[in-house]
Parts: sequence; C-alpha cells; structure tokens
Amino acid sequence: MLSKLATIQLEQRLSKLIEQCSAVDAAVVATLDGYTCAMKQRSQQYPLERLATMGSTLMSLGDTITAELRLGTCDNIISENKNGIVAFMHIDDNLVLITLATQKNALGMLLSHSRRCAEEMKKVVV
Amino acid sequence: MRKDQIKLVFTGNMGAGKTTAIASISEIPVINTDVLMSSGASADKERTTVAMDYGELTLGSGEKLFLYGTPGQQRFDYMWQILIQGGLGLIILIDNSGDDPIGDLARYLDSFHDFIQETGAVIGVTHTDDAPRPDLQMYYHYLQERGLQLPVFPIDARSRESVVMLIQALLAILEYG
Repeated sequence: MLSKLATIQLEQRLSKLIEQCSAVDAAVVATLDGYTCAMKQRSQQYPLERLATMGSTLMSLGDTITAELRLGTCDNIISENKNGIVAFMHIDDNLVLITLATQKNALGMLLSHSRRCAEEMKKVVV
Repeated sequence: MRKDQIKLVFTGNMGAGKTTAIASISEIPVINTDVLMSSGASADKERTTVAMDYGELTLGSGEKLFLYGTPGQQRFDYMWQILIQGGLGLIILIDNSGDDPIGDLARYLDSFHDFIQETGAVIGVTHTDDAPRPDLQMYYHYLQERGLQLPVFPIDARSRESVVMLIQALLAILEYG
C-alpha cells in the first residue's frame, strides 16, 4: 500500500492535472487490483471508485492482450465515446491512471497531459 | 456458437480455485488476468483475477468447451454479467475454509439467479480437507430451503479428474435436466 505522503502527493498531482488541462474532467489513480488511491473531479458527478475498479480490469486485459501478441507492455487504452473519452495508462507495474474528458476533440490534450502526469507520479511512488 | 461448442463459466469466492481449476483441465495455455493483490494477500493467495480466466477443453465426444472464470470479488461483479453472456452452464466453487461458505454460496446463487434458472449449475466445494464443515449435507439442506436441486461435490481444483467430474455432472444436467 502507498504511504500517506505518497497518497497526498498523488492527489496534489491530480489537482495540478485538472488545473493545467481544461479538457480533463476527472482523474483517478487505482491499484492494478482495483482499489482507489487518489481521485479528483471538477464536479461530483462520476462514480470514480467504480471507475477505478473497472480501470484495473481494462488495464489488465490490455496487458494480457499485448502479452499474447508479444507487443510489449500496454501503454494506453483509449475509450472514445459519443459523449467523451476515457484514457487508461500505467503509472508503474502496480498503479493505473484513469482520466476522463467530455470534450470529444480533446484526445491529444488528454493523452499528453495524462502521460506527463503518470511519468511524474511514477517518481513519487518509487 | 456452434452446437459442438459449449461455453461454461466458473465463478465463486476469491481463493476457491477458479483459476486453478481451469488451468488443471485446459488444453491451451490459460489466458488469465491475475494481478498482485495490493492488500489482503496471504501466504497461499498473493494474486487475484480482475477480468477473467480463459481455457479450452475438447471432450472425447468432440465437443469443445470454452471455459471462462470470473473474478471472485464482488466489486468486479460487472464482469460476471459480461462473462455469462452466451454461457450454457455455471460452475460455482466455494472455499470451505472461508468465514461463511454457505453465505458465500447464497451470494452467488443470488447474483446468478436468472442465469441458473435459464441454464444449469453445479457446486464444487474446495479445501474440504482443511475445513470439513459445513459438510455436504448442510449444503444440500440450504439448497433445499431455497427450493433448488443442484449437485454438490467436494473437489480438489488442482485435480484434473476432480474438475472434469464436475463438468460432466453439469453437462448431464444440461442434457437431461
């Protein structure tokens, strides 16, 4: 489990992500077995703990698929939908970052900010 | 799905042996989504399934079984409903060394109620060597109270014979009612 200090640092980094990227409406850090470590959202409208659990399922499926196909580790999974985008990406072997945008044309912004956030978070949880 | 292709679903509580059971009979390398547990890991359980297990088995009659295992933990219940789609039968594994095995069984009977009514189910009770109670009679008594007639077997999920027996019982129910 993460230390309290690391959890606070993850929450602060999620706040920074939401401040810096207007496209991000919500963000969650989850363990690969589906527990929520940190979460932030602009308005309290999404069930983020449920999203954390589902994110772990999806990331694990992505890892399994890419391992079967010998494509290396799964970097991102992107769900593009009628009303928004959800991106799932590894922070490290045990943690997943899940970000959500309701702007349909925000994929590039969402991915670039989320990737930078995940890389910085990796340094926090080492 | 063709007539000679049968999808069966293994479910049951965490640690009951779903992943082990599929691995013990699958003729292909099992596809699984086990991850390290971030908390609650024990000496005999360090990993948990978060999406599904998948294996295959061809019977002597030529029928091909597609074997799916669900995650055990309730918080992954959205996967339960996904995995039973197109399924023809359910195998419920219950860890008899858990705190409340009959309560665990009740939870899975409730969660898969409609699927069991439409198809069929068998119950395999694991870890009975370490934890002999509740005994089979108690399971049958509980099922009777619920108005269910489902076979219950003590099994070793590591034993191919044991798991195949469970599957054969399920196929017999599906064929003959």
